[in-house]
Amino acid sequence: MSSKKQQEKYLRMTLNERIQHFFLLTSFITLVITGFALKFPEALWVRGLFNLFGENAFELRGDVHRIAAVIMVAVSFYHIFYVILSQRGRKFIIDMWFRKQDLTDLNNAFRYYIGKTKVRPKFGRFSYIEKAEYWAVAWGTIVMGATGGVLWFENTFLPVISNSGMDIATAIHYYEAILASLAIFVWHFYFVIYNPDVYPMNKAWFKGYLTREEMEHEHPLELEEIEKEQAKETKKENIRKEDTGKKDIKKKDIKKEEKKPAPEEIKIEKDKKEDKGNNNIPAEEINPKKDAGK
Amino acid sequence: MKPGYKFLRNILFGLLVTGTVVFISLFAAGYVKLSAQNTEACFACHEDPDLTADRNGKKVSMYVNPAAYKKSVHSMAECVDCHTGYNPDELPHSKTPVKVDCKSCHQESLKGIEAGVHKQVNCYDCHTKHDVAPGKEIRVNQTQNCQKCHNTKGIQQYKTSIHAKKNVGCEGCHLGGHSSKKISKNEVAATCGKCHGSHEKNFNNSVHQTVLQSGNQNAPTCTDCHGSHQILTSKMTIESQSCLKCHLDEKLFPGEGRGSAKFVADYKTSVHASIEKGGKEAAGCSDCHGDHMIQDPNNPQASTIRAKMLETCGKCHQQEVEHFKKSQHGTELMKGNFKAPTCASCHGEHNIKSVVSSKEFTKLNQVELCLSCHVDQKLPHKNYKGEEVLISNYKDSYHYRALQEGKLNAATCSDCHGAHEMKKFDDPEAQIYKKNIAKTCGQSDCHTKQLGDYNGSIHEQSLLDKNNPDAPTCNTCHGNHQILKKDESESRIASSKGLVQLCSDCHNSVEMTEKYDLPTGRTESYLESFHGLAVRGGSKVAANCESCHGNHNIRPSTDSLSTISKKNLPETCGKCHPGAVTAFFNTPIHIVKPEEENPWMYWVTNFYIFMIIAVIGGMVLHNVVDFSKKFKKKK
Repeated sequence: MSSKKQQEKYLRMTLNERIQHFFLLTSFITLVITGFALKFPEALWVRGLFNLFGENAFELRGDVHRIAAVIMVAVSFYHIFYVILSQRGRKFIIDMWFRKQDLTDLNNAFRYYIGKTKVRPKFGRFSYIEKAEYWAVAWGTIVMGATGGVLWFENTFLPVISNSGMDIATAIHYYEAILASLAIFVWHFYFVIYNPDVYPMNKAWFKGYLTREEMEHEHPLELEEIEKEQAKETKKENIRKEDTGKKDIKKKDIKKEEKKPAPEEIKIEKDKKEDKGNNNIPAEEINPKKDAGK
Repeated sequence: MKPGYKFLRNILFGLLVTGTVVFISLFAAGYVKLSAQNTEACFACHEDPDLTADRNGKKVSMYVNPAAYKKSVHSMAECVDCHTGYNPDELPHSKTPVKVDCKSCHQESLKGIEAGVHKQVNCYDCHTKHDVAPGKEIRVNQTQNCQKCHNTKGIQQYKTSIHAKKNVGCEGCHLGGHSSKKISKNEVAATCGKCHGSHEKNFNNSVHQTVLQSGNQNAPTCTDCHGSHQILTSKMTIESQSCLKCHLDEKLFPGEGRGSAKFVADYKTSVHASIEKGGKEAAGCSDCHGDHMIQDPNNPQASTIRAKMLETCGKCHQQEVEHFKKSQHGTELMKGNFKAPTCASCHGEHNIKSVVSSKEFTKLNQVELCLSCHVDQKLPHKNYKGEEVLISNYKDSYHYRALQEGKLNAATCSDCHGAHEMKKFDDPEAQIYKKNIAKTCGQSDCHTKQLGDYNGSIHEQSLLDKNNPDAPTCNTCHGNHQILKKDESESRIASSKGLVQLCSDCHNSVEMTEKYDLPTGRTESYLESFHGLAVRGGSKVAANCESCHGNHNIRPSTDSLSTISKKNLPETCGKCHPGAVTAFFNTPIHIVKPEEENPWMYWVTNFYIFMIIAVIGGMVLHNVVDFSKKFKKKK
């Protein structure tokens, strides 16, 4: 494989999605910091942080936590609308939904890890890893948003759920926070950062694309599909224009494949040129295709 | 001379001559031969009141009252027994009159007078000439007799003296009669002592007498203070005229130390001198120093010596001294502790000032006074735990600063410890005995409202009713000497954290909770609650112990007056959470055993812990194997 071909770019996250991700990650990290700063007030890092912000640091902490919460909830709502109203969003949620294949993949993955098989399972657009991450976030946001809202508006909820309910909400909010944070740090950060295949980082969250090499490794089935589509397009064109003998475009290692943007519903494009990321942006905005697992 | 008078005289003269002739002729015959020296014969002439004679050119009456003579003790004597060497037939009877010599008869009794002060005095100056009265009579009137001659102004004051009123005459002191004498300074005491024996005895033991006997004639004896003839008895007069006359004299008592005139002069501005009580000074010299048996202040018997001062001052200040005797100061003093203070240690000696109105006893100065002994190191105090208490911390207290700002109802030492009543904290009668402290702090004009709240609180009841010695009272939380205002940053209860720590000292102590069966887990459950977390994080508004439980009025939740009784809880929480007013509280606030108190929370918690272990554990496992596989492959 020529290295050139390996560097071809495939859209993973549109700008819109990257902006969603950005708001989600900043609000999430802010919530983690300001939240655990409440729970562990004597921790060295909390003390340092509070000293930094002076006398009213504690009150500031609460305000920032609520602002971040509002941002996160807002992004979540936006995401719901995005998933319902946009074509790419609908495709996204369909691709993200669990399938039986995910369990098989998980099973095969472990077989591979323990050496029972030498074949690594091949993943499509979203692997079980990314699906788990995404739905965990969805679940976590709902739980944290609900319990957080109860705690925030304690005057409203206290008469409704009584003090025992408040205590339960507090407990859920705390343990869910631990679960969510650990999930991000252990699961998500491993796969996008520490994972030897992507280390030091999978840059799709700000560049928006994966290289062909990455695609081959992480999402081979998706690549196959893309190339199948492209081949179909090419074939049609060829028939139409030249009526030439058929060419087999089956294999993915075909050398000079033209990856014509042949979006069925989506317009992707990135010529195989090694253009800089800049080029991607306008195209993506119109109709992003790929999506990074969250 | 009128012619009528001459005529009358001639007639009388004729009658006299006739009478005489008849008289002589009647008796001459067979009776007594008429002696020329017969008293009768003398009176023949000398009963004439007009009879005079020339004596050295002066006309002198030669009249002798026969009646008086007959009554006199000398009526048995003839004129010539005294008037010797006269020739009745001649006129004058003698060219060189001879003085009457009483000694010729009264030899014995005159021996005394010749050695006495009246040696030069004629007998008749006292006894008169012809109407010589019996000794008894003379003795009765002796004082008048004396005053005939002794009529100087000083001696005349005798007439108004107590001695005159009580019929003590001159002879009472001067012996009188032929042995009358002057009384020397050294004899005065003995003389007065004849009547005033006990005073003499006291005086003989006094410093005045000691000095006098040492030869210092400036030292006073009875008369120096009381006067000799006028006899002063008024205390005030004696002191102002007698004591101070000498003791304010800087020549007699130089210098500035104790005993000097300057030292004594302070008395004049003292409250004892300036307050009048029934027309007299409240206390004069003798009230403290004693009168006759006045002693050197260093003499162990002196009324002003430390050991006797209580008795001395107690003559007037009975109640104060009674209190003082029971006080720690008093007990130590009576034990003989030479460091212990006595009256003068605080009030001064001559310069004693009113506690109410003087500068010396303002609340601020009182602090200095007490601290002059009770400073750290010098006189360390230990509290009931045996820890040393820094009394000078008081100066950092709000009490002291308020005084400095002029708020004169702020507490100084005596307001809490009592002045004369001052007792140690372990004395059940002490104002600072643990059970009495609340009353002391809550005394009128001070923290009455707080006392009202504290009364009936669980802390008060454990302390007073259950005799729980560890139950807190005012100073347990507020401190002792260094009491600060609540909002002062150094106060232990200024910050929520400090307050929580304070309550936790007992309520989170294993020892205390076991000993008194206190509910456990209060501190931990609070610290893990949002309130506790917020306080730990530095929130200034989050609830601390006091926010819910109150402070002075802390009561158990079963008490309907408690801020945390089920009935009052909505209101209490509602102070911060208005929504709580209509809320109901179906689980305890301090969750200690969630499985019983809030099972839902318990199961949710356990579910999550399980989930965290399972999910995150699975993730870690997955990633570890993934990593090792990929890592190997990369190599």
